[in-house]
Amino acid sequence: MSSIIKVENLSFAYRTQEPILKDVSFEVTSGTFLAIAGPNGAGKTTLLNLLCGLLSAKTGSIKIDTATIEAYSVRELAQKIAVVRQEFVPVFDFTVAQVVSMARTPYLGTFGFESQADRKFINEALEMTDTARFNSRTLAELSGGERQRVFIARALAQNTPILLLDEPTAFLDLKHQVGIYDLLKTMQKEKGKTIVAVTHDINMGAQYADACLLLGPDSSYQYGYAADVFSAEQIERVFGVRGFTGRIDREKFFIPLGKFAKDGGQISRKPDSGV
Amino acid sequence: MKKLWWLLAIILCLAVAGFVIFGFPQVQKHYAPPLPGKPARIVSLAPNLTEILFALELDEQIVAVSNDCDYPLKAAEKKKIGNFWQPNTEAILAAKPDLVVTLWFEQQKAVADSLKRLGYRILTLKIEKIDELLTAIQKIGTATDSNDKAGQLLKNINSQLNDLQLKLGSVNKVKVLWIVQAEPLRVAGRNTFINELIELAGGENAIGNTLQQYPSIGTEEILACGAETIIQSAMGKSDIAEQQKAAEKFWSKWEHLPAVKNNRIYVVQPDTVTRLGPRLCQGVELIAHCLHPDIYAQKQNAAQQVR
Amino acid sequence: MHRNKTPRNRLDKSMAEMLTSEKLAIRIVICLAVLVVVMALCTLTGKIHLPEGSRKISLEKVFAGPGQKPGENIDYEIFVGVRLPRVILAALVGAALACSGVILQAILRNPLADPYILGISSGAGLGVITAVISGITWSFWAGSPMAVFAFAGALGTVWLVWFIGRFTGKSQVTSLLLAGVVINAFFSAVIMFLTSIAKSDQLRLTIFWLMGNITEKSLSVLAVSAACILAGIFALFCISHRLNVLTLGQEEAKGLGVDTTRTRAAAFGFAAFITAVAVSLSGLVGFVGLIIPHGVRLIFGPDHRQLLPLSGIIGGIFLVIADTLARTVFGQEQLPVGVITAIAGGPFFLFLLAKYSRKVSWLK
Repeated sequence: MSSIIKVENLSFAYRTQEPILKDVSFEVTSGTFLAIAGPNGAGKTTLLNLLCGLLSAKTGSIKIDTATIEAYSVRELAQKIAVVRQEFVPVFDFTVAQVVSMARTPYLGTFGFESQADRKFINEALEMTDTARFNSRTLAELSGGERQRVFIARALAQNTPILLLDEPTAFLDLKHQVGIYDLLKTMQKEKGKTIVAVTHDINMGAQYADACLLLGPDSSYQYGYAADVFSAEQIERVFGVRGFTGRIDREKFFIPLGKFAKDGGQISRKPDSGV
Repeated sequence: MKKLWWLLAIILCLAVAGFVIFGFPQVQKHYAPPLPGKPARIVSLAPNLTEILFALELDEQIVAVSNDCDYPLKAAEKKKIGNFWQPNTEAILAAKPDLVVTLWFEQQKAVADSLKRLGYRILTLKIEKIDELLTAIQKIGTATDSNDKAGQLLKNINSQLNDLQLKLGSVNKVKVLWIVQAEPLRVAGRNTFINELIELAGGENAIGNTLQQYPSIGTEEILACGAETIIQSAMGKSDIAEQQKAAEKFWSKWEHLPAVKNNRIYVVQPDTVTRLGPRLCQGVELIAHCLHPDIYAQKQNAAQQVR
Repeated sequence: MHRNKTPRNRLDKSMAEMLTSEKLAIRIVICLAVLVVVMALCTLTGKIHLPEGSRKISLEKVFAGPGQKPGENIDYEIFVGVRLPRVILAALVGAALACSGVILQAILRNPLADPYILGISSGAGLGVITAVISGITWSFWAGSPMAVFAFAGALGTVWLVWFIGRFTGKSQVTSLLLAGVVINAFFSAVIMFLTSIAKSDQLRLTIFWLMGNITEKSLSVLAVSAACILAGIFALFCISHRLNVLTLGQEEAKGLGVDTTRTRAAAFGFAAFITAVAVSLSGLVGFVGLIIPHGVRLIFGPDHRQLLPLSGIIGGIFLVIADTLARTVFGQEQLPVGVITAIAGGPFFLFLLAKYSRKVSWLK
């Protein structure tokens, strides 16, 4: 399988600050689920913005599907990458159907009217995210979780090989968190999409992702299979928090333990004891 | 996006080409050129033009005037066609004029253009100086086929001016301020027709040469100007006596001005001066009354003349 | 996820909700028909006050054509020389201002923007007062130097605002707004200075012009203006689907394949152009560019592919009616049309807001 995203020696610093990403290199094979995790300020969102072309790197290169990101026009890039960020309510009260149909913009002709094919993608996306029943409601009339699904529906309707998501389940309840990740995984398995999701929730990342990019606070990073990267020492070192690593069959999980944890001090700096 | 620009450029070029080639039907087809000779229906768009027309004894022919034409009294009874600033084209058309007389102001020019397009006869005059007034009277005379009356009127005006010259030519020039507006204070400068009348009335503008025609002046200039007489335009039709009192109160601040010290402050009905029309000489006399009350002391009803 | 449970007819319903070119074409045609009817009715409104008595304008006489000499067929002259040009101009100016309002509200992502917000009003005003004071009598457009200067002033100022906006700050929208505020303040100061040295009649003229008036213009002027305004509106229509996306924000728009800088520049440029043309002909008619987009959005929704053309047509209808009122409400006296738009616009908008408040989410 080809690598659909290839990052080489990427470095980036905001204008007057320390470099936030130093010499990062990794390759994402087409059809994989990559989770990007790390503490606040490690550069997760920055990396995402670099990958979708919003920011341009000082040094290094990003190749999307064998061409450098600079070679793409804004329109062409939107046909390759769809981005889902935090949900919001737009200034003008567009309906769900209207917001999702905006996904077809990179494919529309002069006057911007959707063709039959466009409508098919839109309706499929609405179906898959279970938002079809809201299609004539405005975004302000929905809950946060429903809105997030609308934005995901929009990304799906864009029909791109790559989906970038910035903390897609940040304010969602457990049911919707699971639902969204299930949906993304289904997209990956059934449609062969490449999913790159920035997440704070390392357990979900471990559960769903194939690969993981763990960004450290000191511009260090780790890239590899999720199972390997999500080891207890890594997590403790990178996040600076004590915790318990457990396993159920092949599912690993990590529970952070704070000062008032009721583990009776059994878990020390050397986890593995509770496995 | 490029297609868009091309499309736009093509549309614009076509529009301009169409305009240039004059593909548009004209409103009036082949009207005969306006008949010379006495116009039977005249519309006047300004008070001084109305006064000139009446002075040429054309009252029968005048069918409509602008709202502010109030002299002579018969003018007030004529049909009105809107403001001096915004003449109502429809009303002018409804009056079926043979001749429309207008001034050289932007708004009146626009109306004149519309009427010209419809084939009407327009006479546009610029009256901003006494010379221009005299020329205008001539032109109106020619246009209305009343050259002899016009000549007569001009002769009268000129002879009156001569008389005034004799009476006032050798007097001491009195320094005067003509107040156009009290708040903020604006006066008539040297480059105005009001100044011409002042000089004819044996006066001298207390203000020296200024950049603007009607400058607003500050306390410094007032103190420095040494005006011996102050003449203020009355506002609207409200009570002159009231305004006189108010003016005297206003000027009492500058107690060292000769005009204030000698109580030579006058509020006058300014139409004869500001309209620059056939009552020109009355205007000069009005000013002269204020400047040289001693010369006019013999005349009875001097106070009423000021009104 | 209930993928199989969603009934077919629900999906069809959602498909029916989306705007198609057919639906839009029908709506445009209907609105245009209303516009034509309104224009026709308004040209016939208002009595003619002839010396023999006041009467209504007679269509028969109008169709009889111009007479042998001026004054023979007053009905025709008034209809073709005064009323028709006014109604056409009112429709054009109303359309231009309403469309421009739609675009400015989209670019600035603010429903309270109007076409004059980014310097057009102070630029045009400055142009006009400069023309009036300098006493230039050379004219080219619409027979009046003020119109040329107003047009040049408006466009020049817009260019200046855009130029300054590009170099200040990262957020294009905020920097545009700030540049507009700065330019407005500076130009207003210059206008104040020029006002203080103007003669009273020059002043009167400037103020009169700034209030917004519809007057009769020659057919050739109307034709050129119509071409410019319609071309501009058409260009804006072609980018309106991108404007939908633009209102979601810079990042979102880029993610959806819209080149925000080019789109914003094109939208602003065309909107400024049609506004400058309108302003050069009629002065600063207020309210139209602010409330018509609002009202149309309340009824038809915020999709700009529909909002733009419908706002244009309804803006034209609105201004034609306003101008007819300005012409007839006080008999012989004429009000500036800007007065009518202000008085009529306010309550009209309140009524719309009350009626459709269900659709407006923030009123709940």
